[in-house]
Amino acid sequence: MAIKILNILIVLFVPFLMLGIIKKTKAFWGGRYGASIFQPLYDFVKLMKKDFVISKTTSGVFRITPVIVIASALFAALFVPLASSSAIINIEAGFVVFAYVLSFSKFFSLIGAMDTGSSFEGMGASREACFTTIVEPAFFMLLASIMALSGNYTFDALGKIVENSGGYGILICIFALLVLFIMILTEGSRVPVDDPATHLELTMIHEVMILDNSASDLALITWASGIKMLLLSSLIAAIVIPQGLSMWASAAAYLGLMFLISVIIGTIESATARIRMSHVFEFIFIMSSFALIVLSLVAARMFGG
Amino acid sequence: MNIFFIGILIFILSGFIASIFNKKNKVTVLAILCFVGSLLCLKPAFNVLFDGQNLTAQYDFNPVFGTVNFALDSLSAFFVLVICVMSLMGVIYSKGYLKPYLDKVKNINSHLIFLPLLIASMLLVVSCQNAFAFLIFWEIMSLSSFFLVIFENEKKEVLKAGIKYLVFMHISVIFIIIAFALCAINAGGYDFNLFAQVLKENSHLANLVFAFAFIGFGTKAGFVPFHNWLPDAHPAAPSHVSAIMSGVMIKTGVYGILRVLSFYAAPSKALAFAVLIISVISALYGVLYAITQHDLKRLLAYHSIENIGIIGIGAGVGMLGLAYGQMQIALIGFAGAILHILNHSIFKELLFLSAGSVYIKTHTRDIEILGGLIKSMPFSAVLFLIGSVAICALPPFNGFISEFLIYFSMLKGLAIKDFFVLVALLFSIAGLALVGTMAVLCFTKAFSIIFLGMPRSENAQAPTSDSEKSMLLPMGFLALLTILIGVFPQYIFDIVLKPASVVANTSIMPVRTCADLMQTISLCAFGFIAFILVLMVIKFKFSNKVIMHETWGCGYDRANNRMQYSASSYASPFLSMLKPLFKKIFDIEKPKQLFPKSAHFSLHIDDIEEAYVINPLVKFDEWFLSKFEAMQSGNIQSYIKYGLIFLVLIIIGSLFIG
Repeated sequence: MAIKILNILIVLFVPFLMLGIIKKTKAFWGGRYGASIFQPLYDFVKLMKKDFVISKTTSGVFRITPVIVIASALFAALFVPLASSSAIINIEAGFVVFAYVLSFSKFFSLIGAMDTGSSFEGMGASREACFTTIVEPAFFMLLASIMALSGNYTFDALGKIVENSGGYGILICIFALLVLFIMILTEGSRVPVDDPATHLELTMIHEVMILDNSASDLALITWASGIKMLLLSSLIAAIVIPQGLSMWASAAAYLGLMFLISVIIGTIESATARIRMSHVFEFIFIMSSFALIVLSLVAARMFGG
Repeated sequence: MNIFFIGILIFILSGFIASIFNKKNKVTVLAILCFVGSLLCLKPAFNVLFDGQNLTAQYDFNPVFGTVNFALDSLSAFFVLVICVMSLMGVIYSKGYLKPYLDKVKNINSHLIFLPLLIASMLLVVSCQNAFAFLIFWEIMSLSSFFLVIFENEKKEVLKAGIKYLVFMHISVIFIIIAFALCAINAGGYDFNLFAQVLKENSHLANLVFAFAFIGFGTKAGFVPFHNWLPDAHPAAPSHVSAIMSGVMIKTGVYGILRVLSFYAAPSKALAFAVLIISVISALYGVLYAITQHDLKRLLAYHSIENIGIIGIGAGVGMLGLAYGQMQIALIGFAGAILHILNHSIFKELLFLSAGSVYIKTHTRDIEILGGLIKSMPFSAVLFLIGSVAICALPPFNGFISEFLIYFSMLKGLAIKDFFVLVALLFSIAGLALVGTMAVLCFTKAFSIIFLGMPRSENAQAPTSDSEKSMLLPMGFLALLTILIGVFPQYIFDIVLKPASVVANTSIMPVRTCADLMQTISLCAFGFIAFILVLMVIKFKFSNKVIMHETWGCGYDRANNRMQYSASSYASPFLSMLKPLFKKIFDIEKPKQLFPKSAHFSLHIDDIEEAYVINPLVKFDEWFLSKFEAMQSGNIQSYIKYGLIFLVLIIIGSLFIG
């Protein structure tokens, strides 16, 4: 019971903290003092109190989009293992439900962006839709390969890679982590795919889609994208954190890992520039090739003797 | 079974009866008669599906056909269900859709006669147990749908599309005839039961028969590379006809494939892989070209190819299960495929009907010049949105359930310890995921360009009111079905297991894990919808003040409707990634001089198969046949001479053979 409450608290608050830590890290590397790591949370509360400014062009689709986006993100959290436990709804082929629920939210955020009739938001939507087509197949191939290894079709299979793959375990883990990490960068719209701090609309992807959202709409969408990042990071945690730790130890390890991932993302954002738009595809395609490597390693393990 | 035939009789007669009435009541009479006919046909189908009792009937047509068996097992009954419900919705819809045509078009009566005839022939196709009679019904089906396609035959491109359709259907029927003839020679009769006996013993023959049948029926269904008629015929036909054709008629092709599959115990491994690979390619090819299209109905037609591919993936996994002796996997795979047949017919019909509503109001199918229709046609917009979400297989709608089953069967299939199965299934899983995301791209494009933003032309400003009730009602019913199946999948899963077991030739096994999963998914879907609704209520109840303003144009406040993102630009980043797969035809006039007077840009993307396979074939054909032009002299004596030569050749030939 305690762990369930902890999990709920994690989904509610850790996304904000992760965003805060990323900003703090960037400030550190930039030689600035930076805002408190609780700043995103303060922003959220502040935005919830503001009045809406809404485009005359929009229809009801624009108004319901933030609700659907946050509902899907929270709902998807039920299917993912968080701190030291299996997912709350731990069903076979749960990753299909997880991915499709997130697709549902993406569908609405795309048409919500198009609803404003702005060419900038159209641009962002078309890029976002395009990136997803590369990310999703690699994600499915990765998870299905890992599940084939253990014959367990729930997310629990992620924790059993090493015990099921003999000498290949470390390699599979490394490539799986890389795939998931690139997915976090892409889906969380971080550098080098997208720059959330850019000031030029033409180069934005996710940020430009929500140009016209304001007040609580904006707050909910920001929260939802934080949750999405947390959920994908939780998959990394499911691979990395060893099984059989005591409840609190693994919860502490989980939180530490989230902190570490945020710091790494912040460091990458400080150290590299974003890739030119026409080359972003190539970066995301790395995911597919790594997923293919995992596939061949799994095949080698199962049939290579 | 007698009730069933009375229903079919009513269908056949309804067109003739309706044509007696005056213009105003014609379609209403037709709809009422079709409603009665559907009820009569549905009752035995329901009996079969729920009681599991097969119905049979035997008619003696001596001396031409001999005895012809009709039977409704659960596979046939399932298709009867799909055909009746979906066709009825199309017929009801046609009442509103045909209204503007009633005065203009002369051949409205023939349209009203062929429409129920198509339905009746489809019902006969799925219930008939005799190959010879099957082919006759099949031909009636193809011909009546041909006449429905060329409804607006004063347009040249409609006639061209219709003839292309006719040619494709007749090439396909040759393969079906070969398949059946192979069976009939060995079985010594035309009855499907005899076929089944022979094919069960001779698996080599069975695989050969299946290969021919797959090409024949696959052309009807629209598998790549036999799909080329589909994107031409659907836009040419009136919307309710394209809805029935795409929603129901192409499924008779799948029926044929599944029926042949049910004749024998297990297909060879090579065949199972072939079906799986062709299906994955079909799904990808269909959705890829759907993204390139700006003609709404062409776009939907390509999505039919995609969904036939998805159905095929389910069937392919089922065949793999059979080939490797894994009955559970086979059952789940076939159940997914069969459920997707139902689901696709629901949401594709919904989408075609909403597309028809848009067409009737705006008189264009080109989505590039639409926009902002959600304000003038809110109901059609919401229904199209529901259809789009369902076809992208997103929860909590029905498409998700069948795709989930197919994913599940593929995951379970990974447990078959075979290298090729593992690799093929992993690539299929990734392929299906890719298809899903591409569908999202395609339908966010279609929905947002048609219904959202600002109107892009006068056509888009034309509609002042939504479509009439007789058009919205069937669409609303279909939308309700998509949600119901999405929220209560456990009941429909129990039903589709029965036809799946017929295809897999096994008794119904309780697929416990899967049934439990369906239960969980039902709960989740319910919770998800409730959660969204609660959040909506909270949002709109406690909403802060709303200030209306222009869309943010980055400081530029003179943005107009021509500056909006268009469908081509929305798809462009994705398409530029896959350049080599298209034949792009640009039509550009660049702005010249200091003050350019005119400039335009348009992009047309050709089907690569049409450009590089079909067109050269047709060219070769024309060239080849032109060599025989000399024979056509127009003089009757030489024609008699040809006849005589032919007769002599036959006599000589029969002397040698006999």
